Amino acid sequence: MTPDLAHARARATGPLPLGAGEPVPHGMIRLEHGDGTGLALPAWPDGATPSLLEEYQVAPVAVERSGETRRVLAAALKCCWSDLAAGPWPGVPAPVDEVLAAYRALIGRGDDLMRNWAIGALRRLHDSAWLVVADGLVRLGPRCACWPEESHAQLRELVRRLPAPGQEAAGLDVLPAAGPDGGSASVTPPGGVDEDLLGPFDERRRAEIVAAFMAVEHAAEPVHEARFPALRDPAPRRVLAEMLERRGRVLIQDRERWTSGYADGAAAEAGALPDEAQRAVLVLVLIHSVAIPRAEGLLPADSWLSPFPVQAEELRRHTMLPIGELEAALRALRHAGLVTQVKAGEEAGGYVPGPQFHRLTGPARRRLQEELILAAGPHTPLAAAVRARRR
Amino acid sequence: MPETNHEITLDSALGEEAVLATYRRMFAALARDSGAVVDDPVLVDIAETLFAAFAEAGEEWLTHEQMRHACRAHPVELFENRLRVLRGLGAIREVFPKPNQLRYRASFTSVVGLMFIRRMMDDGGQSEMHRLLALEDLNVADPRTTMEEARASAQNLARAFRLWALELITLTGGTIEELREQAPKLWGTEEIARRAQSLHGTILNRWPDLDRTCTELRAAIYSYSDASRRAAGRLADSAGTTRNLTLLPAETWRTFAQTASKERLAAVLDGFVFDAPAPWHDPAAIVRAVDESPRPAPAQPTPPRSALPDPGPADSHDAGPAGLDRLASVAESALGGRSSARLEELLTADGEWVSARRLLADLVSIDLRSESPYRLRWSDGLTAAPGAEPAWLSHGVLERTGNDA
Repeated sequence: MTPDLAHARARATGPLPLGAGEPVPHGMIRLEHGDGTGLALPAWPDGATPSLLEEYQVAPVAVERSGETRRVLAAALKCCWSDLAAGPWPGVPAPVDEVLAAYRALIGRGDDLMRNWAIGALRRLHDSAWLVVADGLVRLGPRCACWPEESHAQLRELVRRLPAPGQEAAGLDVLPAAGPDGGSASVTPPGGVDEDLLGPFDERRRAEIVAAFMAVEHAAEPVHEARFPALRDPAPRRVLAEMLERRGRVLIQDRERWTSGYADGAAAEAGALPDEAQRAVLVLVLIHSVAIPRAEGLLPADSWLSPFPVQAEELRRHTMLPIGELEAALRALRHAGLVTQVKAGEEAGGYVPGPQFHRLTGPARRRLQEELILAAGPHTPLAAAVRARRR
Repeated sequence: MPETNHEITLDSALGEEAVLATYRRMFAALARDSGAVVDDPVLVDIAETLFAAFAEAGEEWLTHEQMRHACRAHPVELFENRLRVLRGLGAIREVFPKPNQLRYRASFTSVVGLMFIRRMMDDGGQSEMHRLLALEDLNVADPRTTMEEARASAQNLARAFRLWALELITLTGGTIEELREQAPKLWGTEEIARRAQSLHGTILNRWPDLDRTCTELRAAIYSYSDASRRAAGRLADSAGTTRNLTLLPAETWRTFAQTASKERLAAVLDGFVFDAPAPWHDPAAIVRAVDESPRPAPAQPTPPRSALPDPGPADSHDAGPAGLDRLASVAESALGGRSSARLEELLTADGEWVSARRLLADLVSIDLRSESPYRLRWSDGLTAAPGAEPAWLSHGVLERTGNDA
């Protein structure tokens, strides 16, 4: 696998598993389990993290119920980070009940509602690879290895002052061993990410390029070039484009706003949304909030984002999808930023395509339109024209 | 090939007259006067109303007055004008053709013609073409159909397809907006082309002698399909990234959304790649979230307080004699020296609910103070006066008991 494809795949599907002895793709952090196998995660240049966006007052990808989610993550750290002298990853597994007890001790209440919320937060943390929840055990996920060394002190301090989980959930007597073979796990960040590209620039220029890189890759919405000199000037923008290219990404411009998306070549191989129900629900949202308003002449802009929400009720009652799958798919899509929930009044509101649709390249947008036409009207002359053009 | 050199015989003249009569009747509903087509859709509505009335009347037929009654929603001069035209063209005729005939009947052909026209207006002719092709298919399969009829049918279809193709070609060369607007009404779906070709195959199989006519039909179908594809191709090329979604009707989208299986829906996004959820949890943000964690709620939450400044309960609660004195004076002034007074009079005295409710509140308060000598006695009477204040009034009596008045 080429490095650009590995990066694209890690972005699309989460941390990449590495076989025993498999070398880590260029520009990625290696997380080793101790038995030779491991995981690979993209590394950011110059030790930056998405926290950088805060300095530029650009909103990062939204976190659903952020306070609760982070408190549950703190509770998991309390239980799983056993050796405070080392980094948090991989830590030790802890029973789910122990993490819930730590969370209860943290917020000081223990009703059923709190428990349901905490379990929802555990699921979201699992889906985003911050935790691994399986077989009644919670482990720290690979993303916990992305915290830079210098921020560990802050977390250590937090874990020390958090109340211990109550006695009622003493947990397993014998916890499973940390690694499969008791070997030592390790985190190896790559040295000098993109040094060859960034090297020629002075400190200030270099910081500008890294900031622009983090902004296009991790901001929720496209960012305005007025804030980021590296987006405005063609020369640093070229370097930025090269950095993205190494990761299977391209710059996407919408007038003076910029974001990044999968390069069309990498997209074909990086792997689609794995869950069929999620894809189906996303297509339904696109039809109801983009295609139908377009067909009725209500949506003037040539974009895949839309102000016309589809009501959850419409999806529930007038489609062939089972309700259980629908709810789970909507939850997952919302979490990934593929749909956005719009609230309006008591009953109104619903779902519109999410901010990820900013990240489609021109050809991808066009292809999406064509695929929809081919699916909904396969016998129309329009579909025939699309097929003829592709041949 | 259309034959041009007819010999004009009496028979053919009669035949032509019959065809003309049918045409006249068929388009009578659209005629403004006997020589032109209507310019106001209301005129068509009158014809439709009349036909509906005729259908209801059955063998009773309709008199002039009854017709007028059926069309009473329309101005009389419009109605008379319309009736004159419809009669002139034979859409409405006397039951018996003799002078001073009072009863009228409607022509079946005109009614059918009107139905056809309404449908054409609705969908621009595409579904009409479907029906026509289906009908022709049945016709040519019918053992009674002659070769001449089949030839005529093939020629008609070829002409229709050629005209449609011409119009599409003109549009394809024109502006993109016009093409976008008009093309979906004109272009043929694969289904139409398929039906036409199957019809063509049936005719050719049954009457191999018609191969020249069939060749023409085939050419017309091909040129129509080609023009449709060309128009669609030009739109597809010019379409930006979502604009072509307008070219399928909203109904098609809805049907797809409602009937497609999960697999078919999901297949649309095959090969599209999106980001896995990867929100960032900064260590500082985690610390902040813990510090801002909501404090444990107290066991018994206090009830919500008004946002207005409130001196607090300690000052306003006056259980002492001062409060009782004020209430007693209210009660005394209400009694006005009597030993009892009717509540319904006291409460309506001011004619305003704002003052009545204060009085009522004070009287109820003093009634509840066991140490005071004033009591309220409620009776079953009730006054309802919708215009007055208060509109609903329970009857009762305020009285002084005991002896310390």
